[in-house]
Amino acid sequence: MIWRTLRRIMREPLGAIGLTLVTVVVLSAVFASLLTSYAPSKISPAERFASPSLLHLLGTDHLGRDLLTRVLYGGRVALLIALGATAVSLVVGVVLGLIAGYGPRWLDNVLLLIFDAVKSFPTVMLALTLVTLFGPSLYAVVLVVMLVNVPGYARIIRTQTLVLKSAEHVMAARSMGASAGRILRVHILPNIIGPILILISMDIPVVVAIEAGMSFLGLGVRPPTPSWGAILNDGFANIRDSYWIVIAGGLPIVLTTLGFTFFGETLRDLFDPRLKGRS
Amino acid sequence: MSILADTRVSRRSLLAGAGAFGLASMVNPKVSWSSDGPILKVRSYADIQTLDPCFRLAAPEGDITSVIFAGLVVTTPGDSWGWRPMAAETIKQLDPLTVAFQLRDNIGFTDGYGQMTAEDVKFSIERIADPANKSPYSGDWATLKEVEVKDKLSGLIHLKQAFAPLWTSTLPTPSGTILSKRAITELGGKMGVKPVAQSGPYILKEWLPKQRTVLVRNPDWKYEQGAFAEIHIHPIEDEKTAELGYEAGDLDYTWTAVSSISRLKQTPPPKTTVVEKPSLAFVWLGMNQDVAPFNNPNMRRAVQYAVDRKAVVDAAYFGAAATATGIIAPGLPGHREKNLFDFDPDRARDMIAKEGLAGATITLDILNKTERLTAAQVVQSNLQDVGLTVEIKQNDSGTFWTLGAKEGDYYKKLQMIISRFSMQPDPSWATAWFTRDQIGVWNWERFSSEEFDKLNAEGMVELDPAKRDVIYKKLQDLMEENGNYVFLTHEVTGIMNRDTLVAGLKPNGEPVFTDFKPA
Repeated sequence: MIWRTLRRIMREPLGAIGLTLVTVVVLSAVFASLLTSYAPSKISPAERFASPSLLHLLGTDHLGRDLLTRVLYGGRVALLIALGATAVSLVVGVVLGLIAGYGPRWLDNVLLLIFDAVKSFPTVMLALTLVTLFGPSLYAVVLVVMLVNVPGYARIIRTQTLVLKSAEHVMAARSMGASAGRILRVHILPNIIGPILILISMDIPVVVAIEAGMSFLGLGVRPPTPSWGAILNDGFANIRDSYWIVIAGGLPIVLTTLGFTFFGETLRDLFDPRLKGRS
Repeated sequence: MSILADTRVSRRSLLAGAGAFGLASMVNPKVSWSSDGPILKVRSYADIQTLDPCFRLAAPEGDITSVIFAGLVVTTPGDSWGWRPMAAETIKQLDPLTVAFQLRDNIGFTDGYGQMTAEDVKFSIERIADPANKSPYSGDWATLKEVEVKDKLSGLIHLKQAFAPLWTSTLPTPSGTILSKRAITELGGKMGVKPVAQSGPYILKEWLPKQRTVLVRNPDWKYEQGAFAEIHIHPIEDEKTAELGYEAGDLDYTWTAVSSISRLKQTPPPKTTVVEKPSLAFVWLGMNQDVAPFNNPNMRRAVQYAVDRKAVVDAAYFGAAATATGIIAPGLPGHREKNLFDFDPDRARDMIAKEGLAGATITLDILNKTERLTAAQVVQSNLQDVGLTVEIKQNDSGTFWTLGAKEGDYYKKLQMIISRFSMQPDPSWATAWFTRDQIGVWNWERFSSEEFDKLNAEGMVELDPAKRDVIYKKLQDLMEENGNYVFLTHEVTGIMNRDTLVAGLKPNGEPVFTDFKPA
């Protein structure tokens, strides 16, 4: 099944590019320690602002740290947050969406109100508030991502649940005495999770951008943890003298977001052709 | 038809004209104008949190209070430190313990608070000096006995002992500012960000937090008016951001990042003057001796050995600044030639192992500025090399400058900071913040030494430069021996301003707003 899906994706030009980029990013992050001999946080003042060379393929930053190494390890942070926070958001969103869609009307109204209220906060303001409350950290980034994503996922799940709630197979199960939990788990969830997974693959670039944006602003992971956003910030501060730092920080963000976007769009076109061409 | 004869204005030509004008403005920024005259747009490194000279927090507040409230004298711009009368018609030291002053006859307070009198001088000076008011700047008047009012406009400042910094770091600074006795009394003894009874050449027109402070000429000021009708002061904490603001045409004057000085000197923005000034400021790594693990003196000493100060300063300031040997800059009495404890990581590692503290995690609080973050990351790496984990916590200026205050509760967990103090041209201004009565005020390391306090008091009343030199060297030795401090640098100050502007700058590059003039 997986191989067949991958073959179908690779037949699509955008899908092939997307899958290749995603594979490269994931593998380079996972095997970062094998791909470089430098430590990501080891400073080397004597090698500050070294331009790209065979010794340092992407050059070094203002503290003499090898930028390729920081980009590779930064990929771990980006993917950890993108995949981890999105997975947690999915679980919470699915649970709340199912409750809203299948539960009593008043509970649906309350949950909808909460979803809309949370969704109405601009992402940057939300990030600033949370960082002020809890301080900049990996957990703060995860929390921001969750608060940004959960209402959207929950709303979609709720809508799908409302549609399936009155479907014949669900009515039949209910008439046979199936509990609400069993109906949600066995009869509704498997029918709505597919579209959500496609949606998630397209949300990952957004999460990568949120993490990079927060780290760029100094609200994300703390130094010296490598992060693409933090590399961008270092580069921004020294862009006149050492342009390669900005390139090293920006390139993986561009490639990753493009890769996941192409991958997600191809998945969507293959599994939900009705949505083909929509962004 | 000639071009001149065709005077029709089409929408396209209007847009083209506007575009060309905009482009020309970007390429050749000129002085902005208000309806009353030219506008000066400057950057300050911190927003105001109070305009009460008695409780000011950072130098930018002093820059503003010095022009909206008249002092007896004011610092003059130039390459050497000096002063000129401002509110005083005449002011003269009669003997080491007495200063006579005569106020100008027509300096008024705004908001209907009448004329400035000798009674206001007495009130303002004694207010800062009175320990009951808990002004962090009470040390500026440490030997004040009283201010005697002779008549409406004249009086005598009596000192208990001779006071060396009187004419350098007391009278010409905001600590010599005169406020309205009636206004401050009506306010309950303290002023916030809304100034009342202003009396200087400029008055505050508006303050938009985190955006700008606007000063306008004081129409009631009878003496030399400032050359600019309005001064817009934009608080931008990060110098690199300020540089971009300058290049975008939003600023006429800014300090640059030290790391940018060399590049800006070689390739300055169009029609820009770039200068480098020696700085008196001092930057240090501090450890709070009341909080673990730095309540252990060996731990403090280990950090002193662990930090490669040259690497820190080179990385943060691109080699443009030198490492400091203390808190007193070269050229002032008390400047030391060398440190007592310097980089020795093996020794640091041994000490940490002996104390069983390897693996300890320490939080390092810093201001969120590029240079401070870079310095912190080198410290983090140095300490990691000797077995300590450092978590860097960046703070905006509003938060940072209250971290160690006893009014809050963060001082109970504040472990390590990188901080920077501005400085006046007298060594007493460097050491005054590390006495016991400054604990929880500016002494965030909670350094406590009876001997230090005694010597510090002696330094202020000693007039012999040679003896002062010995005293202030010893004071820095005491600070370093106690282990709370790793002295990093005095920085240098990079400044750029439009060629259309003559910037009025103190020898250390701090602005005197009244002395900025169009070229």
